[in-house]
Amino acid sequence: MKHPKAILRDMTPALGKPGAPGRWRRVHADSPVQLQSDDWSDATWSFLYKDDTSYVTSSAGPSFRGPEAESREEGEARSPSVPDDVTVVQGPMMKPAVWTWEVPLYFWFGGIAAGSSFVGLACDLTGDPGSARVARALAVATALPCPLLLIMDLGRPARFLNMLRIFKPRSPMSMGAWCLVTFSTVGAAAVGADLLGADRAGRGLGALNALVGGYLGSYTGVLLASTAVPVWARSHLFLGPIFVATATATGASACRLALVATGRRPGDTTREALGRVEAGAMTVELLLSQLNGARLKHLAEPLESGASGRWIQAAKWLVRAGVALRVLRRPAGSRAHHLASASYLAAGLCFRYGWVRAGRVSARDDEAVARMARDRAAQGDQASVVEVTQH
Amino acid sequence: MTEVAIRGAEDVQRMGFFTDTTTCIGCKACEVACKQWNDLPADGGELRAGGSYDHTGSLGASTWRHVRFVEVLTQPEVHEPEEVDLLAVASGGMTLDRWVFMSDVCKHCTNAGCLDACPTGALIRTEFETVIVQPDVCNGCGYCIPSCPFGVIDRAPDDGRAAKCTLCYDRLEDGLEPACAKACPTDSIQFGPREELIVRAQERVATLHERGIEGAYLYGDQDTMAGGLGAFFLLTEAPERYGLPAAADSPIQQQVGPATGAAVGAGLAAAGAVAWAFAMKRDTPHSPVLAGIMVAGIVTDAVAGALRRRRRGDA
Repeated sequence: MKHPKAILRDMTPALGKPGAPGRWRRVHADSPVQLQSDDWSDATWSFLYKDDTSYVTSSAGPSFRGPEAESREEGEARSPSVPDDVTVVQGPMMKPAVWTWEVPLYFWFGGIAAGSSFVGLACDLTGDPGSARVARALAVATALPCPLLLIMDLGRPARFLNMLRIFKPRSPMSMGAWCLVTFSTVGAAAVGADLLGADRAGRGLGALNALVGGYLGSYTGVLLASTAVPVWARSHLFLGPIFVATATATGASACRLALVATGRRPGDTTREALGRVEAGAMTVELLLSQLNGARLKHLAEPLESGASGRWIQAAKWLVRAGVALRVLRRPAGSRAHHLASASYLAAGLCFRYGWVRAGRVSARDDEAVARMARDRAAQGDQASVVEVTQH
Repeated sequence: MTEVAIRGAEDVQRMGFFTDTTTCIGCKACEVACKQWNDLPADGGELRAGGSYDHTGSLGASTWRHVRFVEVLTQPEVHEPEEVDLLAVASGGMTLDRWVFMSDVCKHCTNAGCLDACPTGALIRTEFETVIVQPDVCNGCGYCIPSCPFGVIDRAPDDGRAAKCTLCYDRLEDGLEPACAKACPTDSIQFGPREELIVRAQERVATLHERGIEGAYLYGDQDTMAGGLGAFFLLTEAPERYGLPAAADSPIQQQVGPATGAAVGAGLAAAGAVAWAFAMKRDTPHSPVLAGIMVAGIVTDAVAGALRRRRRGDA
């Protein structure tokens, strides 16, 4: 039985059936909807300007222009471009990323996995299949926590599969998700082939995974570089190489420790080669960072001071300690070299945390955001003076 | 009268907002109307950081329209010591010269950074050429947030999904104008087809110039600003006063190509370098040359870093 008041009130929906969502197509073609205005008159009529300006009233015709209105070109010529004198910034200008500890930890694990896949390929090429198998297993083992960390960082973790809903080459996040899936699948297949004794299949899949790993280790830098955050955006040519160098170093360190744990003796050629790779890659990483810092000038501040700068500084000291331990290895014995590998691993983690935190600091730096935009507006002219006021 | 009411996907125009800051009185009716229509929670009444009277913060996941208060302070010219204004002294010697309001909103860019970044396809462009988040698809990865050069889109901590202005997509579909434009008592917010709004806005700029407001200009009507903003503004101060960048574009469209090139190149170089280091196997394992190169690299890094820190300390 109907509620008595329901009779008094017309509950017929404007579109579709009662209780169903409104449909896009009209039920009857061209039928107007309740409350629909034909001419957006609310937006055109104004009691303030009706008689005073060339704002149009509903009688002024279809062009929305008054009789003595300027042409668009005339109006453009009259309206000055964005003023470009000394500027006062009243933030906030943009929003920092909301990512928490999971993301830099994922970068670290993903980097180790990518570096291990490089090592696996190199071991195969130089005729050390035993070490190649260890490296491939390590690549899969370190790739396993990655999806978990990424899912933990989502605002809606239950919807993690939506990441694979589309394939979007221009979004590094989409490409990274697909890359991680490919890497884990191919890596697991390679390890499976190794376990089954199919050596050729294992080698082939391992080589393929080194190719995929090249993107896995570098796209994280591209991901950060393709944002509006000044310190990341301005580093866009260096972030990928820096992240690849860290990935190579941490991967080599992890492989070296894994080989030691599986009983490789000191003086083993692969162990020695890995020692060269880890220290060399970390040195390259430091030099690339320094070059990038020199290019960034004042924008490099979050990388050098404050909480994020402390992470980077800690990483640099760990690298220095590692190189010192390696150089002094002969008197201290191979245990010192294991310590050096561990310190490179820790340094890689500190670099990742430092870079992610630096982005948060940089996005909150209203002056940096404003100046980056000004420089883009000036297109390489003399950088304009930008000052930040408390207001 | 031009028939601009929406009849179907075939003949819709690009819809947008023209926000005229010279007529905004800071009543925040648009904010309230937006929250009411879109069922958004209140944010609490905290004054914006930096000493502004603005008590509704900034654009975010639960604030899709935000009336920004822009206090323009000046140093007063004091001739006699007795004339010192105690209130001015209390606020650091500055007095309020102009108080400007601006109703900020998602710009619905042509080159939308959030749209380029979204890995799930939750962010889409509608038939009105506006940009919206599909709440049933978004998984809250948060990549759109640093990708927006205007700091518009945000993730609600309690909801976990990204959210921003939809230009009242649900109202547009039924031929109604967006809630904020409907509520605006001074027509500071005007809604309509973008092309028509631009013509109207340019006329308004001309009128203001005639009346002596020479600093009035349009922000976002040109294609150089992120390909043209669906929601553009008439401003009278420098854009940074309103928290707007002087130039903007989709960061992905600007940077992803060169960044990927550099990264992939580095990846290939790294794989090659690893193979090379392995090929050196038969050389002496304790090469003093290699150790020397590494130590030289570390020292170079340390010295360069110290120099830069010192130079910055001087400056």
